[in-house]
Amino acid sequence: MNDHSNSVSSSPGASGLYSAPTDVRMAHIAAGLKKRRAASKRLRFYGIMAIVTAIGFLCILLTTIISNGYTALQQTEVAVVIEVPAGEILDDAGAIDAEKSRNFNWAGLVKRSFRKEFPEVTGMLEQRSLGELLSANAGYDLRLQIEDAGVVPTGPVTYWVKASDDVDMLMKGRMDRTIDEKMRRIKDDQLVWFDKTVAKDNIRLVFNSTFFTMADSREPESAGVLGAIVGSALALIVTVVLALPLAVMAAVYLEYFAPPGRLTDFIEVNVNNLAAVPSIVFGLLGLAVFLGFFGMPRSAPLVGGMVLALMTLPTIIIATRASIRAVPSSIRDAALGLGASPMQTALDHILPLAAPGILTGTIIGIAQALGETAPLIMIGMVAFIVDVPTSFTDPATALPVQIFIWSDSAERAFYERSSLAIMVLLLFLISMNLAAVMLRRKFEKKW
Amino acid sequence: MDSTTKPMAASKLKAVDVSVFYGEKQALYDVSLNIDEKSVTSFIGPSGCGKSTFLRCFNRMNDVIPSCRVAGQIIMDDVDLNSPKIDPVLLRARVGMVFQKPNPFPKTIYENVAYGPRIHGLAANRQEMDFIVEDSLKKAGLWKEVSDRLNDQATGLSGGQQQRLCIARAIAVGPDVLLMDEPCSALDPIATSIIEELISDLQNRFTIMIVTHSMQQAARVSQKTAYFHLGKLIEYGDTKEIFTRPQNEQTEAYISGKIG
Repeated sequence: MNDHSNSVSSSPGASGLYSAPTDVRMAHIAAGLKKRRAASKRLRFYGIMAIVTAIGFLCILLTTIISNGYTALQQTEVAVVIEVPAGEILDDAGAIDAEKSRNFNWAGLVKRSFRKEFPEVTGMLEQRSLGELLSANAGYDLRLQIEDAGVVPTGPVTYWVKASDDVDMLMKGRMDRTIDEKMRRIKDDQLVWFDKTVAKDNIRLVFNSTFFTMADSREPESAGVLGAIVGSALALIVTVVLALPLAVMAAVYLEYFAPPGRLTDFIEVNVNNLAAVPSIVFGLLGLAVFLGFFGMPRSAPLVGGMVLALMTLPTIIIATRASIRAVPSSIRDAALGLGASPMQTALDHILPLAAPGILTGTIIGIAQALGETAPLIMIGMVAFIVDVPTSFTDPATALPVQIFIWSDSAERAFYERSSLAIMVLLLFLISMNLAAVMLRRKFEKKW
Repeated sequence: MDSTTKPMAASKLKAVDVSVFYGEKQALYDVSLNIDEKSVTSFIGPSGCGKSTFLRCFNRMNDVIPSCRVAGQIIMDDVDLNSPKIDPVLLRARVGMVFQKPNPFPKTIYENVAYGPRIHGLAANRQEMDFIVEDSLKKAGLWKEVSDRLNDQATGLSGGQQQRLCIARAIAVGPDVLLMDEPCSALDPIATSIIEELISDLQNRFTIMIVTHSMQQAARVSQKTAYFHLGKLIEYGDTKEIFTRPQNEQTEAYISGKIG
């Protein structure tokens, strides 16, 4: 082999390997092959490493969220033996009187009944700190249970009422009882009462249905995401209703009707630019135009939806144009050749064929809007709202904003609730993306 | 002249000084010719000679291309089709078109044929529509093959069947003129011969213009042939004359395979 290469390099006029005998050339290529193989192997390794790293971070993120949040699925309840004074709640006919029930001091009744379990606690301050083991809304809890049942039982009955968020944390092992009392939210004497309650088996963890059936509250144990979910849903309905037709019409116009020229180019460039505008700018726009100029209601899903629609518009326009362009031009020629008007061509042939792509783009745009926080903050959807909204103009908040509010709260119990709310949000996002993928698959087969 | 065995076909269409521009580039130079009624006229010539562009002038399909401008007159029954007053939608109901690649809509066979009559409101009820569909498919020689599966997807048909479906679809609107832009170029020889037979059948009812790359096809199906080169009409006359005694050297060179 060396002989050959020597002879080649010495041959006159030959420019190296190019004119060398075949076996020399092949040997040279074979020698280089090892290096090339190593290079492609290395590249493959880098690729795998990148994916592993990404998946690793995703796993860490999900593990953190789930391990922080799963305990919020349960809520601590305390058993209290209560004798409800029927006379103060029932009307003459023996039914529960709504007016009387509303005015009755349920909280006091629960606290008095709970104190009976601890006859040794006599001091004013001690009694108050004993009452703090129960939720501030325990009375409301009891009232709901009685009103739902519709009857007031005679004699003492055991009711389960919510414990305070601190007891809840202690029960779930999220509070360190060994640290100094001054640093602890549950004091030493409260710990003793808690242990006594545990010993008597008067405390339990149940499924936290409140989280999924109530709106926000100052008390973590009474706070839920339903208000935020409904707020988000209402806002997204407005978004879809506004953005989808506008975006599809704009895309069809730009693809089929816009006369080529500077103006069209300018619009096209700016549609693409709009997709890159930070969402908070859309929030500012909504604040200035919708609230400031048109005087629309603050904190309303209607306005939130309008702002999100502006934000989603370019995403859907771009997706729609791409899927319109993917429809073969022969279909358009066929329709036009039969004498279909441009409108008929678009509605009868192009849009149905582009529909899966439009749908996918819309769902992805909507999913993006669902996760958007900043513009909603600007138009006041960051407010503390305890009622589930029932109309588009009711004050409301949205899921990501609710997470933002809770993560800002001091109570440890809100911390786990914001993690659970993140899980709920992710669940919605994943199912929307899954729906997008499935719709695309389903329709693509037909075409 | 007037006492030949075959009655002299009347001029259906007349192109007068037709020039086509794509932006700055001129694609067709002052083409003038007469098209006989109920006959087949073929346009031949090398790629890029402007024959397809010329064909598309007859149903204003060039309007679809934004940069395209057509000058001159296309006269059909004393009306200038190229006038801005002419509604291309109306025109295309009279001048049907069949494209190079079979392009059925991704719908059922029935829907493909029924679409044209439906948008023009030609059928008053379901029975009339059924009749139009059946008649068009029969005229296109496809009825026997598809009569039992009208509700199947048209995209499931073979290439040749798809192209005949496209012809049926064009016929269903009831046009006078059929434009065919290389209708057989995507088909195998057997499907091609079926379409050629069909064209011969259809010439009794329609004025047909066909663009083709196959000179044998032009010789087989057409009565008149126009040879284009670099955007100019070089020679136009009876097909027999063109293929046996071409007057122009360029035509002769093309026909004998020296250029093209």
